[in-house]
Amino acid sequence: MSTSHDTTEYQPVFVGKVLEELQTVLQRYPNKQAALLPTLWIAQREAGWISDRIMAEVAEVLGLTPAYVKGVVTFYTMYHQHPVGKNFVQVCTTSPCNICGAEAVLKALLEQTGAGDAGATSPDGKWTIVEVECLGACGFPTPILVNDDFIENVTPDKVPDLVRKYR
Amino acid sequence: MGFPHKSHPKETVVLSQYFGDAEARTYKGWVKRGGYEALTQALKMDPAAVTDVVKESGLRGRGGAGFPTGLKWSFMPKEKKKPHYLCVNADESEPGTFKDREIMRWTPHALLEGTAIAAHAIRAEIAYIYIRGEFTEPWTIMEHALAEANAAGVFGGIKIYLHRGAGAYICGEETALMNSIEGKRGNPRIKPPFPAAAGLFGMPTTINNVETLAAVPHIITRGAAWYKGLCLSNPKSTGTKLFSVCGHVQRPGNYEVTLGFPLKDLLYDMCGGPPAGRTLKACIPGGSSVPILTREETEATLLDYEGVVAQGSMLGSGGVIVFDDSADMVYQIMRLARFYAHESCAQCTQCREGTAWTTKIMERILAGQGKTKDLDLLLDLSENMTGKTICVLSDSCAAPIVSGIKKFRGEFEAYLAGKRQPVMVG
Amino acid sequence: MADGLINLTIDGVPVSVPPGTLVIEAAKQAGVLVPHYCYHPGLPVAGVCRMCLVEIEKAPKLQIACATTVTEGMVVKTQTAPAKDARQSVLEFLLINHPLDCPICDQAGECELQDFVFQEGQARTRYGEFAKRFNPVEDFGPDVLYVPNRCILCTRCVRFMEDVAKEPVLNVSERGDRAFIGIHPEARLDHPWAGNVVDLCPVGSLLSKDFLHKARAWELDKTASICTGCSQGCNITLDTRDEVVVRVRPRPNLEVNRYFICDHGRMHYKWMNRGDRIEAPLVRRDGELKATDWDEALDRVAGILRGAEGRTAVALVSPGASSEALALAKRVFTGFTWTGAFQAVMGEEAPLAGIPNLALRAERAPNAKGAENLGYTREYAQALAAAKSAAVVLVLDDPDCTVETNGTLLYLGTILGADAPCRRADVILPIANVAEEEGSFTNRDGRVQRYCQAKPAPGMAQPAAWVLGQVAAAIGQAEAAR
Repeated sequence: MSTSHDTTEYQPVFVGKVLEELQTVLQRYPNKQAALLPTLWIAQREAGWISDRIMAEVAEVLGLTPAYVKGVVTFYTMYHQHPVGKNFVQVCTTSPCNICGAEAVLKALLEQTGAGDAGATSPDGKWTIVEVECLGACGFPTPILVNDDFIENVTPDKVPDLVRKYR
Repeated sequence: MGFPHKSHPKETVVLSQYFGDAEARTYKGWVKRGGYEALTQALKMDPAAVTDVVKESGLRGRGGAGFPTGLKWSFMPKEKKKPHYLCVNADESEPGTFKDREIMRWTPHALLEGTAIAAHAIRAEIAYIYIRGEFTEPWTIMEHALAEANAAGVFGGIKIYLHRGAGAYICGEETALMNSIEGKRGNPRIKPPFPAAAGLFGMPTTINNVETLAAVPHIITRGAAWYKGLCLSNPKSTGTKLFSVCGHVQRPGNYEVTLGFPLKDLLYDMCGGPPAGRTLKACIPGGSSVPILTREETEATLLDYEGVVAQGSMLGSGGVIVFDDSADMVYQIMRLARFYAHESCAQCTQCREGTAWTTKIMERILAGQGKTKDLDLLLDLSENMTGKTICVLSDSCAAPIVSGIKKFRGEFEAYLAGKRQPVMVG
Repeated sequence: MADGLINLTIDGVPVSVPPGTLVIEAAKQAGVLVPHYCYHPGLPVAGVCRMCLVEIEKAPKLQIACATTVTEGMVVKTQTAPAKDARQSVLEFLLINHPLDCPICDQAGECELQDFVFQEGQARTRYGEFAKRFNPVEDFGPDVLYVPNRCILCTRCVRFMEDVAKEPVLNVSERGDRAFIGIHPEARLDHPWAGNVVDLCPVGSLLSKDFLHKARAWELDKTASICTGCSQGCNITLDTRDEVVVRVRPRPNLEVNRYFICDHGRMHYKWMNRGDRIEAPLVRRDGELKATDWDEALDRVAGILRGAEGRTAVALVSPGASSEALALAKRVFTGFTWTGAFQAVMGEEAPLAGIPNLALRAERAPNAKGAENLGYTREYAQALAAAKSAAVVLVLDDPDCTVETNGTLLYLGTILGADAPCRRADVILPIANVAEEEGSFTNRDGRVQRYCQAKPAPGMAQPAAWVLGQVAAAIGQAEAAR
């Protein structure tokens, strides 16, 4: 619940082309609050993660309070509240994939990327692996997401190539 | 087709005809395959007439609830006084279910066409397609298809927007989905008011599943009688359904069959049954929120809404999860409880605390530290979690627990009696 | 439904209520308190705690009373086994992560969790040896502490800030059993009405730092009073322990302050406990002020008034004095050419945005309107000037008054500094403060409201109305005074 104190000067996200993009998004909804989820996606795309400071900027841009934005950010698991590795990997381990070996895939990824524990970032900063719930590709076990790349049918023997490809 | 496998002769191919056909994703390719004829036809019809056709066809919601679609559309106000909205539920997150994503990534225009027809029928000016955040490929494909279709000007005055979710199963609940579009936490709403009276932004709203809407163009062009005729058992269950078969089967995938089809044939003939040397032990027929079936029940099930209920479960989303004799039912039920505990929105006391508590008890049993009274405790907590909350996530957590203890009690007792090695650390 | 009311039965008791009434409210008319947490008549309905589940005939499932509207002929049962079991299970679920903090928790004795568990909960928990969820205490702002471990996520605080204060500075963070009430680091809970979240919190999760560990709820005596912080006239309860005011809380009044008071008023009580009080009547003898009894003091005053009859008098009063005292401070000067004036401290107005006509008012005095209605004006400077040549000047409870007069100065007050100008007075009489007397104030809307005595006045101090009433009687104004 505590936040780190960032002493570097803050670079606003919603300026120039990004602000223009936001204006387009705003046109899809009858009020600014409804644009919150897409706005947070833009912010995460630009900044890599959503800090308290960015939440405050998003709040200002949409006429909301920072606390309100934070309540929304912390609800949805795909918004990062702290920096993550260059490759953010989501591994499904819910029952349909679980009975098809998902936990072994997770274990292989954790070991071979050096991330160690689920949720932790590897020492070289390149990998954060997390366990997630059903990714909606149960017929193609085990599906994983590497950033925005949705990869199906991952098995432990395919992990070394995968790690090499993305490193 | 039994995508990603070849079509099986016993399938009734309607929605899945172009799965795997890359050209069908393009506007031109879709039009070449007869696409957007239904929309053209529907836009010339009176909205009420479109609703009547869908009502007559017997189409029921394919997201899980099975509510008659035409009837749902008819709940919208007869007099148009306010903006109407259509929300398309592409949040597909029910464990075991993976059909909507195939519709989106192979036949995006089928969904867009069905969306536009539905919007016309309920007199909605705007439709939002809510796609779960993890569906990056369907999102890109839908974005592209939408841009093409808009450029071709096929939607009349109807505006269709894509809205991306951000990791919350509960946003598949229709009122939570609306809250999520409104830029709020994905909390389900208390009903009344119902969406048709006051939904998105307080306006009359209808929410439909992807698969439901993908069927609509076919109903328009081929007629309600045709759709109604697609029926193998109970006349209240008509049309085809994509069944997402996964788990311990040789050929997992999406299989399209007429409602009333025997589950036994689906699993053994089409999917090849469990891997060689294994026997089917259990099956969850409609996504993880419905009761687990034993092998006997599974082999006796006819796949329509009434048929599955007759065996003590529900058709739900049609996500068929198959467990063979190698599966540890206790562990998998724990894993499902943990799923619900992760996804609980935290509003209702029973769900917020109960999903976590039942998970802890399951974990303790798996760690070899369970007590006999834990089973009664789990059953009692499950009853307390059922029928008392804003939405049914709480009930859904209870379903596998109750059916699991009832039908696989021996596996639980093996852990309790120390006859089975603990698989978790206490 | 002849008279437009809906008739229904609750636990066998027939009630008739207006259409649109919630079952939980209708139940109150039947004398039934349906247990609940998240529901509050001053907040929008949430329906999340699930505590108010009741059985309604013909409804297939139990229904929450807080979100169900009455219908004609509805039969509600709150004491059937399914309803009681459901509520008992909610309590069990609430307690699994709730710490056994009662011995150290401020809320004990006025805790709704304690109350309903005692009334219909289980004596034992089945949670066993699982660890309870733990989060550290958070300081939300000027007066509010948040103890997440005790929070039952009723969201009353979030809804108050969002829908009543119109400043969403509290949120629900995270999901599932990891959820807690959150705040953004760039915004503190310093809204002028934020303290209400402490009252709204049914348990000891949101606490007042001011009240922290000060007293136990069962040690408190509660007295109805009116806030003296401004001219809004919010109804309050003074909580006293051993005759010391330790806390101020709102008293519901749908016409004035609904269920709320502002933080200024909430903290505006410590002065009621001041020890440096005038404790005995003082009269000037041989140039010095000497303590005496009431008989002598009142005699002296009566004599002064008789001697100056027909001449000029000036009354400089506090706009916090009771209407009764203010009326008498004029009555005793019948026959005089009388001028009465007051001045009120002004501050910034702070409305409670979600409620019409409710604000911390700029005028920081409870009875300015009462004074006006009685003929006092705000022309204080003129009154001060007039006092110079007046025969008698009466200063009522204004210790900083800088009046100079060639006439006789009478001072009635609670305190008077050693170097205060009014120490030059001929007579100084000790009076009770608002917590030590009965009286009435008229708020800015002209509403006359009564306050009651919460603790005894120190020493020989008496209500100002009593003092002036005695004087009035002595000089023959008794009939008129009555």
